[in-house]
Amino acid sequence: MNIRRTVLAFLGTVGLLLATAWPANAYEPVNIVHTEHVQAGPYSLTVGFSTWPIRAQQSLDFTFIPEGGIEGKSGTLTMTSPAGARQVRPQPLARHPRKRDVWGLDIKSLQAPGDWTFRFKLNGPAGSGAGELKNLQVLEQPGPPMGLSWAISTVPLFALIGIAVVAWRRTRGRLVPA
Amino acid sequence: MDLTVSGARAFPATRGSSRGLPAASTVLGGTVLSLVGLTWDVQWHTDVGPDTFFTLPHLFLYAGSAVSGLASLVVVLLTTAAQRRGKPIDPIVGGKAVGVFGRTFAAPVGYLVSGVGAAMFLLYGLWDQWWHGLYGFDAVIASPPHIGLLLSVTVTIVGSAMVFAAARERRWGMIGVFGTLGVLLAFSTVTALGLQPVDAGIVDAVTVGMTFFAVLLVMMAAGFLKRPGGAVAVAVILAAVQGLFWWFSPWAARAYAGLVDLPVRDYAAGIPVMPALMPMCLIVVAALLEPLLRAGSTRSAGRISLLAGGISGLLIAACQPLQRAWVYSAPVPAASTIIATGVAGAVFGVLAGFLGWRFGGMLRLLTPAEDNR
Repeated sequence: MNIRRTVLAFLGTVGLLLATAWPANAYEPVNIVHTEHVQAGPYSLTVGFSTWPIRAQQSLDFTFIPEGGIEGKSGTLTMTSPAGARQVRPQPLARHPRKRDVWGLDIKSLQAPGDWTFRFKLNGPAGSGAGELKNLQVLEQPGPPMGLSWAISTVPLFALIGIAVVAWRRTRGRLVPA
Repeated sequence: MDLTVSGARAFPATRGSSRGLPAASTVLGGTVLSLVGLTWDVQWHTDVGPDTFFTLPHLFLYAGSAVSGLASLVVVLLTTAAQRRGKPIDPIVGGKAVGVFGRTFAAPVGYLVSGVGAAMFLLYGLWDQWWHGLYGFDAVIASPPHIGLLLSVTVTIVGSAMVFAAARERRWGMIGVFGTLGVLLAFSTVTALGLQPVDAGIVDAVTVGMTFFAVLLVMMAAGFLKRPGGAVAVAVILAAVQGLFWWFSPWAARAYAGLVDLPVRDYAAGIPVMPALMPMCLIVVAALLEPLLRAGSTRSAGRISLLAGGISGLLIAACQPLQRAWVYSAPVPAASTIIATGVAGAVFGVLAGFLGWRFGGMLRLLTPAEDNR
């Protein structure tokens, strides 16, 4: 009876997992709901966001669209966090994987709340230019405090430590002393 | 958890038998599936990108835990049924049976651990779904649910090592322990990325964490074998996994991208991400360890393990930033970073050396004594 109950509980858990997971089975289109404008030398650049306002650790799609399109142009993006200390190295502007006619970042999150700066350097037929999107405000993260989430995630680690402690105590007399 | 099971009778010794091999191999096979899924998934996000729940790499990851978990469940149920019928329980199959939920179930201790790891994986999978619903599908390793998932697989792999250790007197049991420790070492290189949020100044916390796992597991292998070759065996298995995945990971990511008609990212270098995390110097370090561990008497081996662990930790942690710079053609980090990370690696290596040697000895004791069978 107990065995049957265990098997049913297991199958129920698997079913629940699959049922809740099913809606995630699709590559979402890139839907821009907010834009900002950056002037990088001779280039007018539209920065798009798929979520607005932005919250820390919540991922979204970014698009970077120079006037006249990306054809014949290249550039880099440097994202500076509010602390400024952990400045990310410049990365080349790459086409968005799900919107190949523009540059962008797919499902990217900004980790820390506060004011971020995006610095663009562009090269193209009109020469080179640089511009910044300053004071990009990122709100506090949603959901439970990270400390609580990390505590939950490390339960298996503490389970392993518990097993090791029990095994250590039970085998102490049977091992050659260190 | 009750650590004794009534009604278990002595099992006649069958030294040449492969009893227990199918179930043990299935559990190990599940962990290998998870490992393949992990390297594939990491490469997919780096080279291609978009994420959903139902990707092929995720299928491997989840199927791996399902296979290991179901195999563990079957062994526990069969053991419980045998115990209730008063039939003899062979401790070669997963170790000594312990009572679970009072004495409702009789679970061989190795399969209990591997099964609990798989069950936890399911729970963390549900949490991960909820997490992605709230935060989106940003493909970062160091999110709490992802680390919970990786640690759950780690529990399953530890259970697998215990299962094979119980059959140490069989050739397949001995081979299985080293194979499992190799899988765990490869897996732990990604688990260590969970230390990314730790800001340790000029010390690279991820490298120190990876170093700790590497020293712990090679010393565990040496402590388990108790004769030359254990540390090198695990290092060779890791090198084999690294070599295989070096080819497989970029190939699989691109093949799958072609299959689902998604483009490879602009500027994707195709560098094998997970294999690049694995320490290439480990074979050399393990080869240095072996004679050091044999230098003293049996009684001093525990103390020597501290020294061996410290030296190994220093070498691995100091080499890792250089390896990264070489693989990614990036600038070599500042000498202060390499030195500080090396020193931290040595400190944690001492601890890992001590624990690893001891854990190896504990693993040996899972083998049932002759008079218990």
